[in-house]
Amino acid sequence: MATTAENQTEETEENFQQFYEKWKTQQNQHLQELITASEHAPTNETMSTHLSNLVKSVVEHYEEYYKAKSKWAEENILLMLSPPWTSSLENAFLWIGGWRPTMAIHLLYSKSGLQLEAKFSELIQGLLTKHDLGDLSPSQLSRVDELQRKTINEEKEITEKMAKQQEKAADADTVELSHLVSEAMREGGANERNREAEENQVESTLHPKEEGFKKILDRADNLRLKTLRSIIEIFSPVQAVHFLIAAAELHLRIHEWGKAKDERQLNGGVGHPISQQQT
Amino acid sequence: MAGMFCGANMGGETETAKPVEPSSGSARRRRMEIHQFRFVASDAAVAPPPPPPPPESGRKRRKVEVVLPASSPPPRICNNMFQNSKLERNEKEKTKEEVDYNMWSSSSPKFGMTSVCGWRRDMEDAVAIHPSFSQGNPHLHFFGVYDGHGCSHVAMKCKDRMHEIVKEEIENSSDDLLWKETMKRSFTRMDKEITDWSSAAGVSSTSCRCELRTPQCGAVGSTAVVAVVTPDKIIISNCGDSRAVLCRNGSAIPLSVDHKPDRPDELARIEEAGGRVIYWDGARVLGVLAMSRAIGDNYLKPYVISEPEVTIMERTADDDCLILASDGLWDVVSNDTACGVARMCLRSLKPRSPARSHRNDVSVSSAGESSDEACSDASILLTKLALARHSTDNVSVVVVDLRRDV
Repeated sequence: MATTAENQTEETEENFQQFYEKWKTQQNQHLQELITASEHAPTNETMSTHLSNLVKSVVEHYEEYYKAKSKWAEENILLMLSPPWTSSLENAFLWIGGWRPTMAIHLLYSKSGLQLEAKFSELIQGLLTKHDLGDLSPSQLSRVDELQRKTINEEKEITEKMAKQQEKAADADTVELSHLVSEAMREGGANERNREAEENQVESTLHPKEEGFKKILDRADNLRLKTLRSIIEIFSPVQAVHFLIAAAELHLRIHEWGKAKDERQLNGGVGHPISQQQT
Repeated sequence: MAGMFCGANMGGETETAKPVEPSSGSARRRRMEIHQFRFVASDAAVAPPPPPPPPESGRKRRKVEVVLPASSPPPRICNNMFQNSKLERNEKEKTKEEVDYNMWSSSSPKFGMTSVCGWRRDMEDAVAIHPSFSQGNPHLHFFGVYDGHGCSHVAMKCKDRMHEIVKEEIENSSDDLLWKETMKRSFTRMDKEITDWSSAAGVSSTSCRCELRTPQCGAVGSTAVVAVVTPDKIIISNCGDSRAVLCRNGSAIPLSVDHKPDRPDELARIEEAGGRVIYWDGARVLGVLAMSRAIGDNYLKPYVISEPEVTIMERTADDDCLILASDGLWDVVSNDTACGVARMCLRSLKPRSPARSHRNDVSVSSAGESSDEACSDASILLTKLALARHSTDNVSVVVVDLRRDV
């Protein structure tokens, strides 16, 4: 049984890993398209429609990701909660197997702040400037703020659910079983252990817990996707393009930085490349 | 408790109008960061003030009388969470002309307000705006900014009650209204209500974070900066480190001085009362609270008091606007910059951002007139500036237009 589980794990991992790599390549292609689109402000209806369609297809690409993730989580939830295809750096930022939903708002505030800063002097002279995330209107900021509060609350709720779920590691069933199995191991010689029964019991104790994790991951992923959709809805197409660029850049670069870090670690290099250069 | 530290750890001072040099390392660090900011330089781009308009004294001026609808709810959107309000103008002009050169009287003041959670995970700011809040005198307008710490319920209570208390105090006072006394009495009553309410609570329906469950409720408080704007005066009552700044002829005049524990007079008062100021991430009363006055904070009494400092400022023809804001703004934007930005928004003939034409953008005034929109623009731009400069706190900004004839 153990070998079957391992094989299954490997297969799931490989499949999702492949999917993930492919998805990342597509994200990179989308990024190029988004950047090209952002370079020229739409001057006519056709261009606006093009932007809207581009935004739509990028959002659909995210939806595809979560659909696939949910499918694979069905097969191996534990793998999804500690994904080996992400880097240690990314894992440090993980919230229930993915990015923290409120991070979307922080991403917006960061990008919006940078773009506001870049054109502040023109703005203050009353000049019309390039339209981007720097000029969120009052109603847009109000909706972002509302979304933020809602998202924080939902995030907290799910976090609380996760806390309860994690505490189940030490529920009576598990503790009792761990004791029985330990005892059986100690008495190993005397009593013939019924390995198969034992494994079945372990499986039946752990299974509901994995189910619980799956439900929580689904909720977390739903919130991630919902937050992304909601924030995009607030934006004009041009602003959405800027936001999606920032999101893709952040994801791809953090992934690369993390991978590079892991590689250095693996090659025995400890510490920072800069400090290594200095010595 | 953690929240309290969060809410209060802005330990330093901003550049302007402070009697005390910032003493904490973090304040210094932050100041340096601010100076590094690229667009500090562009603050200079705020146009120099044009010569002041000729005084209007003696000139005949049409008096505008305003009739508010019988039920005139304050123009609020959603729970104070975020507002960007403008008041529907509902004016009926009188044909009668009067000589009244000391008038800025309107029962529909122009203002803009923004209040956002920002980079924090808890919203503890609250804002209250009540034009014509006193029946006796429709020309009195109330503006209040409350920045809670520990939890939001004291700030929310101030938002709900302070204007009612002030109104009662005004209406109960004799003919010659003494503003300082009236405001001090109001703050004392507000504070007492909080104390009574907290001790009676537990049954309360409040849904705040602390849920009023523990004695730690005594560790919850709020700043309060309240402006009563009359036709000829601005009365600012302040308790804590939110701030009111008057923009007059392009320059910033602070109308309140932040109550920081290391302000020499406050430090002396605290020590005289037997308290101590301990430097723990900035100066804090008993090492806990980074402000020396607040509504609530029962367990820090008598060192932390709720008595406001009241400033009465006569209005002049040179006044541009009044800015009330929580430290989420003032921590990262100087008084002068704030005034420059607000004035620019009030004076500009709308550099309309293209975003406004976006179909999703529905809130702001299709019928309204530009100056309210200008106040909103000012409050929103100041808020965005604070967010851009990574203010770590909630940001609440109220901008009140004080100009005549606009």
